[in-house]
Amino acid sequence: MAGSQSSDSSENEEQTQVRELCANGICMKTTEVEAKLDEGNIEEAESSLREGLQLNFEEARALLGRLEYQRGNVEGALRVFDGIDLQAAIERLQPPISEKQPPKKGRTRSDAQIVVSQHAAGLVLEAIYLKAKSLQKLGRLSDAANECQNVLDAAEKIFQQGIPDVQVDNRLQDTINQAVELLPELWKQAGCYEEATSAYRRALLSQWNLDNECCARIQKGFAIFLLHSGVEAGPLSLAAQIDGSYVPKHNLEEAVLLLMILIRKFYLGKTEWDPSVMEHLMFALSLCSQTSILAKQLEAIMPGVFHRVDRWNNLALCYCGAGQNNVALNLLRHSLHKHERPNDVMALLLAAKICSEDPHLAAEGGGHAQRAIENAVGIDEHLKGVAVRMLGLCLGKQAKVSSSDFERSRLQSEALKSLEGAVAFEPNNHELIFELGVQYAEQRNLNAALRYTKQFIDATGGSILKGWRLLALILSAQQRFTEAEVVIDAALDETAKWEQGPLLRLKAKLKISQSLPMDAIETYRYLLALVQARRKSFGPLRNISQVDDEKVNEFEVWHGLADLYSRLSHWKDVEVCLGKARGLKQYAAELLHTEGVMHQGRGELQEAICSYTNSLFLEPSFVPCKIVISSLLSKMGPDALPVAKSILSDALRIEPTNRLAWYHLGLVHKDDGRMADATDCFLAASMLEESDPIESFSSVQ
Amino acid sequence: MSQDSFASEASTATSTVPSHKPSQSSLTDYSEKIQSAIQSLSSFTTIPPSLISSQDPAFSLLHDPHVSSQISSLLRHPDSGAGDNNLCRWFYDTFQSTSPQLQLVVLRFLPIIAGLYLSRVPLRKPLAGFEAVLLALYAHETTSRNGQAITVNIPDLSISSVYHETKESSRNNSTDLNLAVISPSLEPHGTVRSTRRARIVGVALELYFSKISLIPVGSKIDFCKFCEVWAGQDGDMYKEIEGEAGDGGGGGEEKGKKERRIPLPWELLQPALRILGHCLLGPQKDKELWDATCAAIRSLYARSLHDVNPKAILATGSLLRLSKIGMNSQNEIDYTEISMSNVISL
Repeated sequence: MAGSQSSDSSENEEQTQVRELCANGICMKTTEVEAKLDEGNIEEAESSLREGLQLNFEEARALLGRLEYQRGNVEGALRVFDGIDLQAAIERLQPPISEKQPPKKGRTRSDAQIVVSQHAAGLVLEAIYLKAKSLQKLGRLSDAANECQNVLDAAEKIFQQGIPDVQVDNRLQDTINQAVELLPELWKQAGCYEEATSAYRRALLSQWNLDNECCARIQKGFAIFLLHSGVEAGPLSLAAQIDGSYVPKHNLEEAVLLLMILIRKFYLGKTEWDPSVMEHLMFALSLCSQTSILAKQLEAIMPGVFHRVDRWNNLALCYCGAGQNNVALNLLRHSLHKHERPNDVMALLLAAKICSEDPHLAAEGGGHAQRAIENAVGIDEHLKGVAVRMLGLCLGKQAKVSSSDFERSRLQSEALKSLEGAVAFEPNNHELIFELGVQYAEQRNLNAALRYTKQFIDATGGSILKGWRLLALILSAQQRFTEAEVVIDAALDETAKWEQGPLLRLKAKLKISQSLPMDAIETYRYLLALVQARRKSFGPLRNISQVDDEKVNEFEVWHGLADLYSRLSHWKDVEVCLGKARGLKQYAAELLHTEGVMHQGRGELQEAICSYTNSLFLEPSFVPCKIVISSLLSKMGPDALPVAKSILSDALRIEPTNRLAWYHLGLVHKDDGRMADATDCFLAASMLEESDPIESFSSVQ
Repeated sequence: MSQDSFASEASTATSTVPSHKPSQSSLTDYSEKIQSAIQSLSSFTTIPPSLISSQDPAFSLLHDPHVSSQISSLLRHPDSGAGDNNLCRWFYDTFQSTSPQLQLVVLRFLPIIAGLYLSRVPLRKPLAGFEAVLLALYAHETTSRNGQAITVNIPDLSISSVYHETKESSRNNSTDLNLAVISPSLEPHGTVRSTRRARIVGVALELYFSKISLIPVGSKIDFCKFCEVWAGQDGDMYKEIEGEAGDGGGGGEEKGKKERRIPLPWELLQPALRILGHCLLGPQKDKELWDATCAAIRSLYARSLHDVNPKAILATGSLLRLSKIGMNSQNEIDYTEISMSNVISL
């Protein structure tokens, strides 16, 4: 018979292999049983098993059910399982009350009994589990979930103290693992998200003795569910909360916690590395703007998981996102080293962008941008325009620290050329249009600047504040103060009150330019009230959330007021305002400058010079102080004139468009008798006056 | 499922009403509102009679593809955003009805409203109608969270938690958790000030996300399409790595999309990314939605690179890589399946 069966199987073209059922040391082929099942004779199949393998009713049914399940006949499996009274079987398995507290003193007489009953339990639980799987395959998800829940309820009743690490039947443990993992999945598929959440938590917070990989899969599944289901999971039950331990209160908190734990499990060697876990954490933490924490997580990962260049680049993104540009740039310098990956366009662009914000790094940034342009091919081809734009920005910034006029104008015109070139690649990039506006304005090509700025405001629908501010500054530079004020008022209308600070400051300065000091004081007062109210209303949260967009702080307002009063020679008021400002920021060059002006106004020359010098000690490149010091020196007689001249030349190297510096330099030349030079300087000063904005153009960025 | 959650939502909504009506009467109250909303909608769309007679007309209204496509095409009409537009009026009134079911119907169309609105701003078209709807959503969210910011504490593993395996004695002294602001505090707005536009739309999207599990797939696909428009950046070069040939599909249309690139400040991008995260990795799986989401993510990733915006590069980059992992995971092992051996033993 055995021979005929094996020849049967070889004839069998379809992939059904010969299965065997084994129990009590006896094995039998399933062909006969399967034939009976196919005819629908469950009872006959069952009895032939009971005879052939010496099984009881339940054992036979469980085997049959599994056979049907493995054959893919899930409906048949369900019919077989329905014949067993699983509920009764579960109740039989529960330990009698007297055994509730099993003696913990080593092996006792009941050990053998436990093994036997575990085997029986495994059989019953597997049967219920397979019932759940069958129902799942039939799409009856809620029924499946309920059956699966039965498995877990039963397991909990059998092991009332939690499942111990030892003395558990392997097969029983497997079934429990699978049921624990399947249940939340079923609820999820059934669309019952609340049940899914509690199933996940039950899986993770009860003692199922899960193996590490299984537990990790469940934790990951739950983290993804928490992040993306869009359903708030609600608080953890009080029972799960332990004194002093951290209890997540929000989906994101719980998800991030689970993901962090998963990563730690990996580097403790408990689980295999799963790259998607890091990606999920990256997504979650960058959504919360917590890229510095993400950086710490990336730093904690063992070497060898990521390529070091990838790690450096990701870290650079994290640090740059957290505002730590210096750290980011250092990392990028590593990753762009010639032995690493010097032509990575993303890294080059990020490095160029960071450099473009600092005049002293701009030259380096230009190099990065240039290399990005050369390497923008293939998949990165679309980034060529961005690279050209970065080059333009870096050149523009570099021009600010150039040592000669010739160098400066060369850099400036190259900057413009690059930015204009970038427009050809990205005609719809609003930022680029804005940057062109700033660049033209800084070069005092005010008409072009005006055109680009208007284009920017149109394209963004006026939604970006800096567009309005730049427009007002350009108009002020054109001495069109009333129009500038109209722009500011329009912008104020489009702004919520907390963001009005920079606009109000501009407005006050516009009033001053129009010789309306009382209006300016009024505006400053309003601004002050706003800034103070804002500080109070945000309270403790202020530090984290609002500090970024806080463009005007209280210090600036007090200082602005002090400046204004000193123009009016209201020295008492100046002193009060300076006191207030000093309370907020003790050492500030601009404060000492105003203090010096006050002393000078009161005729206290020594004190004035003292304040000015202190100011320069704090900030050696503070131009307004250089100008006042040189003007004081030039009044001290002809011997001091060369010193005054050199200080003014230095001031003009730092700020070539400072009209006051030109004017005073003219005075020095005049006093020295160099009339032609003096005329040139006065001419420059008067030309600059016609294009002088009320605040520097670069302040808008 | 949806019915249950609707009912529970309805009861929570009424519990805030001071008069404390019994929930039964408030439900009939809602059903009158639903009927009248459908009535007024029928004045400019054709509503299938089966919808009116159905047991849960609001649910049918939300899911009826016929009605949705009519409303969508009305919305996409060039002048649809005007203040006197019937449909906008209907959206506004329907949302103000306070019936959670009807509010869901309004939210279902938020992707199109917000998408068209932000793309049309530079075109100087009348948009008061769209703005009224968006402000209503914004005001709803402002009231429901009392203007408060949403913050989370980023966990620190050195502090023992419920999920720690070993319950070591926790360092209680360092309870200095990192507080992260998910959504800053809200102040009431009566009009759309242009510099607050992105925030108002962003908050409406936050509201959308909080109800996203009840929203039909079609609406999410609309949203993904608009993300592509907003990004204004073709992301197809990142497709090849996914090992799937491009499906072609109207290159001319793509060109048109580029025109409407809009500024994407974080207050708008962040809620948009949360929605895309749901579309990609949420519990419901849908092939068409998956494809639309992947396309949106590719575009936004390309856009983040163009903006050289580190936070956006990290977030969109991780979504992009997750979409690729997801695409290759079709033959993933199912650990809940039993081991199939030919020898079945007891």
